[in-house]
Amino acid sequence: MSGNNNEQGGRLTINFRLNEKEYSLEIDPGERLLDLIRNRLGLIGAKEGCGMGECGACTVIMNGQAVNSCIIPAARADGAEILTVEGLSGGMENDLHPLQKIFLEKGAVQCGYCTPGMLLSAKAFLDKNRGREIRREQIKEGISGNLCRCTGYQKIIEAIYCYAREAERAEERKG
Amino acid sequence: MPGKRNVLKKGKGEIMKFSNLGKETPILDGLEKVTGRARYVPDLKMEGMLYGKVLRSPYPHARLVNIDTTKAARVPGVKDIITGKDVSQHRFGPMVPDWVILPDDKVRFHGDEVAAVAASSEEAAAEAVALIEVEYEELPAVYDPELALEEGAPLLYEEKDNNIAATFNVHSGDVDEALAGSDIIFEETYKTNQVYQAYMEPMAAVAVPGDYERLIMWLSTQIPSMSRLRYAEALQMCAEDLRIIKPHVGGGFGAKFEYKSHILAAVLTRRTGLPVRMVNNREEDFRAGNPRVPMKIWVKLGLSRDGTFLAKDTRIIAGNGARTVYAPAITSTACYRIDSLYKFKNVRSTGYTVYTNTIPTSCFRGFGNAQMHFAMESALDTICHQYDMDPIKLRQHNGVTPGFTSIHGWEIKSCALEECLDKAAQESNWYEKKKAPKQKGPVKKGIGVAICNHVSGNRPFFKPFDGSSALVRLTPEGKAIVFTGEADIGQGMNTAFALIAAEAVGLNVKNVRTAAVDTDISPFGLGSFATRGSTIGGRAVYEAAVNLKKQLLEHISRVYEKETDQITINNGNIYFDDQEKPVPVAEAMQTISYTLGGTSLVGQGVFVPDTVLPDENKYGNVSPAYPFGCHIAEVEVDTETGRTRLLNYWAAHDVGRVINRQTLEGQVEGGVIMGAGWALGEDMVINDGVLLNPNFHDYCLPTAMDIPEGHIYSYFLESEDPNGPFGAKGIGEPSLNPVPAAIANAVFDAVGVRVKTLPITPEKILEGLESG
Repeated sequence: MSGNNNEQGGRLTINFRLNEKEYSLEIDPGERLLDLIRNRLGLIGAKEGCGMGECGACTVIMNGQAVNSCIIPAARADGAEILTVEGLSGGMENDLHPLQKIFLEKGAVQCGYCTPGMLLSAKAFLDKNRGREIRREQIKEGISGNLCRCTGYQKIIEAIYCYAREAERAEERKG
Repeated sequence: MPGKRNVLKKGKGEIMKFSNLGKETPILDGLEKVTGRARYVPDLKMEGMLYGKVLRSPYPHARLVNIDTTKAARVPGVKDIITGKDVSQHRFGPMVPDWVILPDDKVRFHGDEVAAVAASSEEAAAEAVALIEVEYEELPAVYDPELALEEGAPLLYEEKDNNIAATFNVHSGDVDEALAGSDIIFEETYKTNQVYQAYMEPMAAVAVPGDYERLIMWLSTQIPSMSRLRYAEALQMCAEDLRIIKPHVGGGFGAKFEYKSHILAAVLTRRTGLPVRMVNNREEDFRAGNPRVPMKIWVKLGLSRDGTFLAKDTRIIAGNGARTVYAPAITSTACYRIDSLYKFKNVRSTGYTVYTNTIPTSCFRGFGNAQMHFAMESALDTICHQYDMDPIKLRQHNGVTPGFTSIHGWEIKSCALEECLDKAAQESNWYEKKKAPKQKGPVKKGIGVAICNHVSGNRPFFKPFDGSSALVRLTPEGKAIVFTGEADIGQGMNTAFALIAAEAVGLNVKNVRTAAVDTDISPFGLGSFATRGSTIGGRAVYEAAVNLKKQLLEHISRVYEKETDQITINNGNIYFDDQEKPVPVAEAMQTISYTLGGTSLVGQGVFVPDTVLPDENKYGNVSPAYPFGCHIAEVEVDTETGRTRLLNYWAAHDVGRVINRQTLEGQVEGGVIMGAGWALGEDMVINDGVLLNPNFHDYCLPTAMDIPEGHIYSYFLESEDPNGPFGAKGIGEPSLNPVPAAIANAVFDAVGVRVKTLPITPEKILEGLESG
């Protein structure tokens, strides 16, 4: 936590960037990052699947790391850069993030409840491994914190793998 | 003209050409799901909305002596608290009237509803629940269904003489005589455990006061229309005054049927006049969901020396939990559905559904048939091993074939079971792998097969009828909207319906969508169960689309002054025999609509399958179509650790017709992994009535790390069922039914250990290896 937050009567003021927008908000000490995102900012993409950091449905990217926002105190967001699924793209069909597009195309989405978290875990994993050759086994590990009960994961892994191969080829063309 | 013909002609050797079916079509509601905009019930917020929370019993069986809500009511923000004293004590229930809104006498399981609070914040509701003071008087309890059957066992319902919620009996042919004449007699007992559906979206409801004193309920449900009937009964109101809306649903797998918290949200809304949202947290969803019915299954089989099945004798003891959801129907399914997978001549089955002081159990993908498949398909594997028979050929020798009527009168119209066995065997290199010598070293490979049947609709499930109806509305803009009461809970059914409508009318599926279920607008639909959606719901959509097309052709004929037989509609274009350039449907519809006061064209379709309620001998065709499948699992078992890993999986399914290849594969892959999770580790551990692992840390669902190292291969055989839309049959449950047995059989092949009690844990394998 950076030291610039102000405590007033048990409430804290925190400053953070979320989906490339600056926020300054007063929070309760016990507030969770997930509540802040869902209840205060009205962004419903992050879901509460378990409330214990076990299922990954609430995954957001904070300072480059995929985190379970249901077990992160909102206070930890002070000074942080956060990305939620709403910030992945403009949200229209023609400006989807390539990962969103390939999840759709490859059938990696069924009920959709795990999808926002899954997308963000995939993105954080891919960002960390940029420029490296990625194997399916690594992808499995990369998304192992995100539960999906519908798909059996195969199409999710395939979508991420295809995206990674596509990105590799794009790098090669550039290089 | 290229792309013009869209006529479906059925006949031998003739290939049907489709512009929409059989392809990989991404789900049509995918955009809102990948962008996070899709709204599920827990995402709904209404002005003035209250948060509901349930107080649950900390005892498996206890008398409610006194409930004091004084302190709880003082918590700021608390608007209402209800206990059994505040609600009617009339009984109701999906199958047996053993439900009350809240009890005023006693609680029957750890997690049973005691009271409910509505408050202006979740925190206030939780605080109030914690402050409700309940004086309990603990009662003797019983947790094991077998012990609950014993004389003198504590009774869950004192007005009953025993703990039997339901008994099922069937006897066709003469089992004793057939057994006496059998060359091979096999007898064994299997146990299937209690597992949790673990849909990612917990049980949820939002109740909202409506105009005219009606009540609106947004539900995470797979049965919008049926729950409306039941909740009207619970709330003692007219069903018409209850409006159920089903938005996106985050999975159900059988669990999301009638649910107590939905009713509690409704009661709190009616009392406060304010919207109430009630969402389970994960722990209470574990403790008071509707998990799989655990079963002890005793099987006796008689065969002739050439492997022909002569007799099957079965006895099942199933755990109902503390009140009845659908366990009796599930037990009866376990007792007799598999009898129509094989050409049995003599069968007898008895099933007891028994009350215990544990979580009420209910539907879970497979509906009892999955439990029985584990027993039956494991038994056949052992017989093959003992008598040196080929597991593929034994099943082909006895499996049902097209045109066969089973011992219970089930009419097998379409069936590619034999082909499924061939396909899976061929693709997996079954025969080579079975012959291959075992690996040296501690890690052994094995391969196992199991087959399955299921229904596509189950006539006895809802006594008044089976069937479906649909509307397809073509707007002046040329877009079609499908209205159905059947519930997409994430499987992609809405996309399948849109594909069926698009194909039948001749539209591009991009211009077709399926509306969310809203009982004020949508037709009555029984919902998502019995693998009935694509077949029965889909057939109603097909009929509605055909009806719409007829109207559309008549209007085109009128407006463009052409004979209807000169008009073809394909992929959103209207072709005239004497004209090169097609007219887009959108353009024609605008003209048509403007000549008719701006109307949309509405096609209505009804499908009432030619099925019957089984008679007293359980005889009668219950489903319009029966799907079949064959699964082959390849595993690796480490004899030092006892751990089993999936290497590859081959699933061949007779789906009648491929509507959407992508979502079909999705169903198969999801079903296989769900079955593998059950087979290899998932287990609700209950000790003295208390669930010890009510969270995803201690209850281990399969993660991406647990899927086969190789691949899940899906193959679809198209047997073109005469009842299904374009021949389609269901896939949801068959994709899971054979999985635990296929894996158990592969484990046996690998290390020679036969695990008869699910799950197949490393401990059981090591124990089996030690005892040789």
